[in-house]
Amino acid sequence: MQNVSSNSAPPLAIAAKSLTKSYAGVRALRSGSLELLPGEVHALIGENGAGKSTLTKIITGAIQPDSGELEIFGQRISENDPNRSRALGVAAIYQQPAIFPHLTVAENICMPLERERGGITVDWRSRKQRAKELIHSIGANIDPDRLAGTLSMAEQQVVEIAKAIGAKARILLMDEPTALLSERETEKLFTLVKRLRSEGVAIIYISHRLEEILSLADRITVLRDGETIACCNAGDVDRAKLIELMVGRSIESVFPKRTVVPGDVAIAVKDLNNPEAGLHDISFSVRKGEIFGLAGLVGSGRTELARTLFGITPVHTSITLHGREVTIGSPAEAIAKGLGYLPEDRRQHGVILDMSIASNITLASLNDVAKRGLLDSNREQSVAEAYRTSLRIKAPATDTVAGALSGGNQQKVALARWLAIKPGIMILDEPTQGVDVGSKSEIHELIVEFAERGMAVILISSELPEVLGMSDRIGVFYNGTIVATLSREEATQQKVMSLAFGHEVQA
Amino acid sequence: MLRRLHISAAEVALVAALVLECIYFSIAAPSFATWGNFFEIIRFSVELGLLVIALTPILITGGIDLSVGSAIGMTAVLFGTMWHDGHLPIAACVALSLLLGLVAGGLNALLIAGLRLPPLIVTLGTFSLYRGIAEGITHGAVSFTGYPAGFLHLGQGYFWKLIPVQLPILIVVLAAYTILLHKSVIGRSIYAIGFNAEGARYAGIPVRKRLALLYVLSGIIASLAAVIYVAHLGLAKSDLGTGYELQAITAVVVGGVSVFGGRGTLLGSMLGLFFLSVLQNGMHLMALPSELTGVLIGVLLLAIVAVDRLRSTGTFKVTAGETPLRKRPAFALAAVVALGVVCTLLFHAAGHRNGTVAAGHRLTIAVMPKAKGDPYFISARAGAEEAAKELGVDLIWDGPTSLDASQQNELVENWITRGVDAIVVAVENKGSISTVLRKARAHGIPVLTWDADAELNARDYFLNQATPVGIANALTDEGARLLPNGGQFAIVTGALSAENQNEWIADIKKRVASNHPNLQLATIQPSDDDRDKAFNQTQVILKAYPQVKLIIAISAPAVPGAAEAVAQSGRIDVKVIGLSLPSICRTYLHDGSVQTIFLWNTQDLGYLTVYAGALKAEKKIQAGANSVHVGRLGNLEISGSEIILGKPLLIDKNNVDSLHF
Amino acid sequence: MKAYARELAVAATILLVLALLAATTHGFFTVDNLSDLFLANVPVLIVSLGMTLIILTGQIDISVGSVFAVCSIVTGVAARAGLPVLVAMLIASVVGALLGSFNGALVAWMRMPSIVVTLASMVAIRDGLRWQTQGAWVGDLPASFQRFGLSQTAYTILMLVVAVLLIVFFAVGLRYFRGGRNIFATGSNEAAARILGIDTNRVLFSVFAITGLLTGFSAALNAVRFNQIPSNSGIGLELKTIAAVAVGGATITGGSGTIAGTVLGVVLLGIIGPALTFLGVSAYWEHAIQGLIILAAVSVNVLSHYRRRQVSHA
Repeated sequence: MQNVSSNSAPPLAIAAKSLTKSYAGVRALRSGSLELLPGEVHALIGENGAGKSTLTKIITGAIQPDSGELEIFGQRISENDPNRSRALGVAAIYQQPAIFPHLTVAENICMPLERERGGITVDWRSRKQRAKELIHSIGANIDPDRLAGTLSMAEQQVVEIAKAIGAKARILLMDEPTALLSERETEKLFTLVKRLRSEGVAIIYISHRLEEILSLADRITVLRDGETIACCNAGDVDRAKLIELMVGRSIESVFPKRTVVPGDVAIAVKDLNNPEAGLHDISFSVRKGEIFGLAGLVGSGRTELARTLFGITPVHTSITLHGREVTIGSPAEAIAKGLGYLPEDRRQHGVILDMSIASNITLASLNDVAKRGLLDSNREQSVAEAYRTSLRIKAPATDTVAGALSGGNQQKVALARWLAIKPGIMILDEPTQGVDVGSKSEIHELIVEFAERGMAVILISSELPEVLGMSDRIGVFYNGTIVATLSREEATQQKVMSLAFGHEVQA
Repeated sequence: MLRRLHISAAEVALVAALVLECIYFSIAAPSFATWGNFFEIIRFSVELGLLVIALTPILITGGIDLSVGSAIGMTAVLFGTMWHDGHLPIAACVALSLLLGLVAGGLNALLIAGLRLPPLIVTLGTFSLYRGIAEGITHGAVSFTGYPAGFLHLGQGYFWKLIPVQLPILIVVLAAYTILLHKSVIGRSIYAIGFNAEGARYAGIPVRKRLALLYVLSGIIASLAAVIYVAHLGLAKSDLGTGYELQAITAVVVGGVSVFGGRGTLLGSMLGLFFLSVLQNGMHLMALPSELTGVLIGVLLLAIVAVDRLRSTGTFKVTAGETPLRKRPAFALAAVVALGVVCTLLFHAAGHRNGTVAAGHRLTIAVMPKAKGDPYFISARAGAEEAAKELGVDLIWDGPTSLDASQQNELVENWITRGVDAIVVAVENKGSISTVLRKARAHGIPVLTWDADAELNARDYFLNQATPVGIANALTDEGARLLPNGGQFAIVTGALSAENQNEWIADIKKRVASNHPNLQLATIQPSDDDRDKAFNQTQVILKAYPQVKLIIAISAPAVPGAAEAVAQSGRIDVKVIGLSLPSICRTYLHDGSVQTIFLWNTQDLGYLTVYAGALKAEKKIQAGANSVHVGRLGNLEISGSEIILGKPLLIDKNNVDSLHF
Repeated sequence: MKAYARELAVAATILLVLALLAATTHGFFTVDNLSDLFLANVPVLIVSLGMTLIILTGQIDISVGSVFAVCSIVTGVAARAGLPVLVAMLIASVVGALLGSFNGALVAWMRMPSIVVTLASMVAIRDGLRWQTQGAWVGDLPASFQRFGLSQTAYTILMLVVAVLLIVFFAVGLRYFRGGRNIFATGSNEAAARILGIDTNRVLFSVFAITGLLTGFSAALNAVRFNQIPSNSGIGLELKTIAAVAVGGATITGGSGTIAGTVLGVVLLGIIGPALTFLGVSAYWEHAIQGLIILAAVSVNVLSHYRRRQVSHA
């Protein structure tokens, strides 16, 4: 490991000081600072919503900071944009790949490279060659002639990495690059990252996987609630210290867990297969009043399971709800059978941003506020008003447009929609993602209340402490199936993470 | 207050614009502000209004339905077939028509909701398909008429002599759709789909079912509009509803519905419709040319959408990376351009009216061609203006910009409202226009027809340039003269559904059968009054029917088109004759690619329209007279109620240079 | 070959129609007839090339027919004023490009929906032209106007060369030039294209301007076939070109489509009408058959892409 210290003479690759950024009144970044040296792997860690994405977007020029200073290679950047930052040698691999679905892999990889090179023509043969080389150089194997829209998420990620590597970036931003990669691919990626480092590339590495970070990174910057909390040498810290820095509190104390005596089995799934969603041999059951956590890496099948159960990617296999065999072919059927699903992507699926709070809340239960198909606006208002009060949704009135609310309040509106159908089973997919701290604990409180009211809750979260802290039992996903189900007592971060990475654990 | 009534700022603005418009026309246009005119505007807005109602929720979902106009044509024709050939009772015809609309909408629904094809392309396909079925069934020619009075009352009658009968239907449909879209559970889900279809699906809304419902309903509403339209015009023809889809979409967009989905209301759409209808009506009453309406609508549409864009920049659905709209320069540009165009148009229009409307007691003679753009009618206009100048009367020369029977009716209604002194109409469709012409007569306005006649009791005189039989016989005999040994010939007509041409074709066929059995009609091809299409069709005819030795082109632009095709093919054995103007055929007559064209002196005909109109208005034509003195034309014969212009002119290379029209 | 499945399907349909014609009719496969058919479809072909670019970006232009009419008249007026025909053509092309730029500017920088913008300009331009010309044709053109004074054969060959050059230019440009790839990128994922630093507004503006230019150019090329110019040409041109592009396999939502497909689409739709005449089918059914072909083509498109879509949406 290279020995670098923040006082060394060479110019910093990036010097960011007190950057701030707000979205629709919500502070995503309060005070983001970062010092990046050439030739180091610098990990950026923090819980979801700590401001990592916002900070990286400012560096790549995708968004403009509200205030603060940014220097790249000693150059003061006042108005950044993607072209500018790219010209300075910044390349980024985002969590959500920015691919062109109708274009081939070769083109997706080479197009940005060619933009640097200039010229007006396109040489398909060299494109193909170059793409092939780049893909091979990271140990993957994808036909460069395939259309990017036909790739799996993992393959798309590979394309993104190849793209950035091809750009010969001097500053490389990697946002959860291994989330969708197999172990073998991950190993290869690390070799590659190390090689890039030895070539003098400055790498910002964002990940939730602390082991990964401790073995790979030279230095670590920790963000919490939009603020840079610490910057330390990787050799000086351990997992526990990092978690403490990130969370700023001990795990047990923050979750308002109250155990409920579980009732009858509300939902039971046996040998569920959905090849199209990449799911196989899934079995589990959840009782009334129980919170069943689903842990696992992004893309391991948790969200896919939720979408299958809710009829968005339906299968013909039957599941057992309250002792009765049913098949669910569409969300409408799922709702009719008392299933609620708070989706992962709040802005796209959770709420309809252009509609009012009241309309959003009643959207899944319109028949309850209607008489013979006609809406009763008084009843709708009173239902909406009741939820606004009980969920403490901060908005001037129920006819405020949902898009004007903060992320946390939008999420509460989305939750209210599902409470309004009075579900027996509630699936919550990343309920606190991108939600401010205050709302977050309120949402946790609500989840506990659901269970107390006898709801069976399935809780999907990438935030391990959340799953561990909230759940009565935890199912761990790996590669499209639940590999183990742990009780609250058995479940430790260590155990869950090992399972999620596909290691066998003797329970 | 406004929030309680659920009226948005955009709708308030539209109401204000509508009010301003009405005030302006009340001052500027004679007889605009009358109850009669008010209800006439509504009557002419019913068919379009139904489509506007059906399209509003479809656009709110972010979809589109281009097939509604064609669905009207298809349903109308099948309605006519069922009544006329199937001898079904009217009620059964109506029921079956609505069923057909359901099927037509169902096909759209199947492809859009079932196969998830883009609505634009699907309905572009069915747009062509439905119109094609209508044309195929009728061969364009048949127009079904002769409906019982009770049925026609639906489209032409009044309650208490004031309220058009079809108005309650519009109101019922509007009310039903208002409940559906603005009060019901389904309506709420339609908005949700429009804002975010994927998000709506996650909320358990059956997105495809809802979309399917809207497209099916749209088909049914279009067929209802078709039935009313048939009753309104008194005939069913394959070209009914042509262009209605774009008019309806224009009204919906003017009414504030966003094509991106989610935004808009039925109230807004109806306001948009009436804004446009009033604009059209007012401009007719002010005797501004019809083309100006189109230009104004285009500019207004752009201005409205531009303003809307600037108002709601924040909610436009472009994801990450959208550069913020640079408001001021863009807005300034748009505003300046729009203002500039509108001002130019209005200044220009002031001096460019269809005739000057001066003070005092001058007569106003309103003359209508079948289509303003047709060279034939343009040359007639010169004569009409000559007569107007000579007599010192005001001439209103206006008509549809392209063949459109319903627009003729609308114009006549506007002229009645305006109170002109005589109406002279080149009738596009006998069945459809006679009702309104009778109404004009009932208001004491003399009615004359020219070029083509209306029903006998619908007009005072027909200015007969030549009868269809006379024209057909002259053409056929000339053809026989050119092909002394007989042989095959082909006809290039105008639009497949043009009534005049279809009458001539029928008479040509009769003449061939009775007098020239050695002539055979090989094929009939349409040119849509488009020179280039006539050219292409003739080229194909020459290759596909090599035995054809004679082309009879019976639409003015078709003759030069056919001639050019024959000339370029080098087939000197093929003769071209037809009905056309000397001005556009001169070169072809000289180089021998056209042998003969027939026509009357169109300038004289135009002269006659105004002169006879003025004479009749001043009651200077005695009943029972055998002749009348018409200015420079001298004494013209009156036979019964027809004023005879003279025989068709035979124009060939010898006399073409002496004719200047 | 999977990538070109759609083009092959259209080509197969064309061959089927041609085989039917070969088996049952005479005179279709003569040089004369084929060159007539070719010339008749040159305007549709050239405008379709531009329409392909627009549809690739996910937009649409329904004003091309009206622009075509204006540019036809402009060509004639300029030539009658004594300008050389080539200059007249240049002026017509510039007018077309300006009208296209107007649409493009509103779509690109004002972010106005292209269907509304071009609907408005379609109506306004068409009626404005009617108003200005009062339907009058432009005649009295100089003798050198018709076919540039060339013979029939020479003109046909010239048109063939122009058409082939344009097709090759656009096919190569879309495939082998950065500008062409930017059009695909913009249509496939506009946000990602912006991240790459592609000025998508400029791309959108350009495709409308280019289509306007092509429309003006094709109007001028068509105008010189005759010795007088009617004021109502180009009616329905927008539908013909959009249908040709859609039949050729381009997805109306952008990102996918080829020039080869568009050319095949133009050929298929262009031979249907004459084929019906040769086969003795009444002209009255032409519209219906055209509608069916469009619907069949887009349905096949979706069904064959169905699996691919499933994957890309997962």
